Amino acid sequence: MATTVLIGMSDAIEPVLELQERQNRFVSQHFRRIFVQIYRLVQNVADAQDLTQEAFIKALQHQEQLKDEQKAAHWLSRIATNTAIDFLRRSGRATFCELDEAPQGHSESPEAILLRSEHREYLEDGLRLLSARERAALIMRDVEGLPAEEVAARLNCSKATVRSHIANGRTKFRRYMERRKR
Amino acid sequence: MRHPNQATLALHAGGDLGAMRGWWTARHVARCAECREGVAGYSEMRELLPELAELPEISWNRMAAEVKANVRLGLEAGECVRPAELPLQHGTVKGWRAAVVFASVLVLVGGCLVLEHPAPQPAHVYAAQNAIESTRDGIEYQAGESGTMRLMNGGAQKAIYTLDAQGSMGARYIDPETGSVTINTVYAQ
Repeated sequence: MATTVLIGMSDAIEPVLELQERQNRFVSQHFRRIFVQIYRLVQNVADAQDLTQEAFIKALQHQEQLKDEQKAAHWLSRIATNTAIDFLRRSGRATFCELDEAPQGHSESPEAILLRSEHREYLEDGLRLLSARERAALIMRDVEGLPAEEVAARLNCSKATVRSHIANGRTKFRRYMERRKR
Repeated sequence: MRHPNQATLALHAGGDLGAMRGWWTARHVARCAECREGVAGYSEMRELLPELAELPEISWNRMAAEVKANVRLGLEAGECVRPAELPLQHGTVKGWRAAVVFASVLVLVGGCLVLEHPAPQPAHVYAAQNAIESTRDGIEYQAGESGTMRLMNGGAQKAIYTLDAQGSMGARYIDPETGSVTINTVYAQ
């Protein structure tokens, strides 16, 4: 009797462990790429980390979609983009980059760090003028350098719509830059 | 000369126009200083944007471990919530189905009962002025004022009476002395 129960339990536990192992592998494999993708949209490390976790949880809750590895990567990117866009819409607030999070080289002086931080803030202020989708389209196209087709696939919309988002994003951003120059 | 709009210039700066429109815009920009300046402004802006791609210094291993742990936690929390939600949904659906089935059965049974027993008095069957009644001794048939006929149950103590919606009454009983079964049915017309 006891032996039977034991065999039954190990049979039940093994697939669970295997599943967890597979999930961990999936997270390790895509974590960095997804974090960077989200970070570029939200421009804040803490938010990007939270949203990365959220994107992975959403993806892993629908594991049946993850059988094909290439499709899974693409699908995960879409989830990450949507999660970040939802966040930007929801929060509608400024996401300032902390000074100690600012990109820095080891040889940079404090003045250089400050200048860089100010410049980044200047760019982020411009991004805040765009809608969530305009911002996402502009970053994917002009920061990540993705082709418009890929941007359309990630945003789940047509190429024409993406072009419109990109054009609006660039026009607004340029107007902002001109205003700041004056 | 018709100038391309700002959206077209913005797209042209990034090479995002289709072949025909791109060619037309390029031809126009080559001749028009104002539009050339516009495209240059967009190009300058595009050169600045990649700075946003720079990442702060991140401890990737620590963050990966945190993310993995939190993802595991999130998935397990989701699993804990899911079984509590599902039975509720199933229960609601089942409850509705059961209620509908129960109501249907109730209507069916009620309908049968009404059809089987249309008269409120189970022990009497009326046909115009005539009446059939079960008594202690048997079935009694009364034809208005004119007279009464009684069909006796032959001394049986326990007779089973049945009423018919068509206006008849039956009595079934076993003769205690002979053991024979007798069935009497009286039809009122």
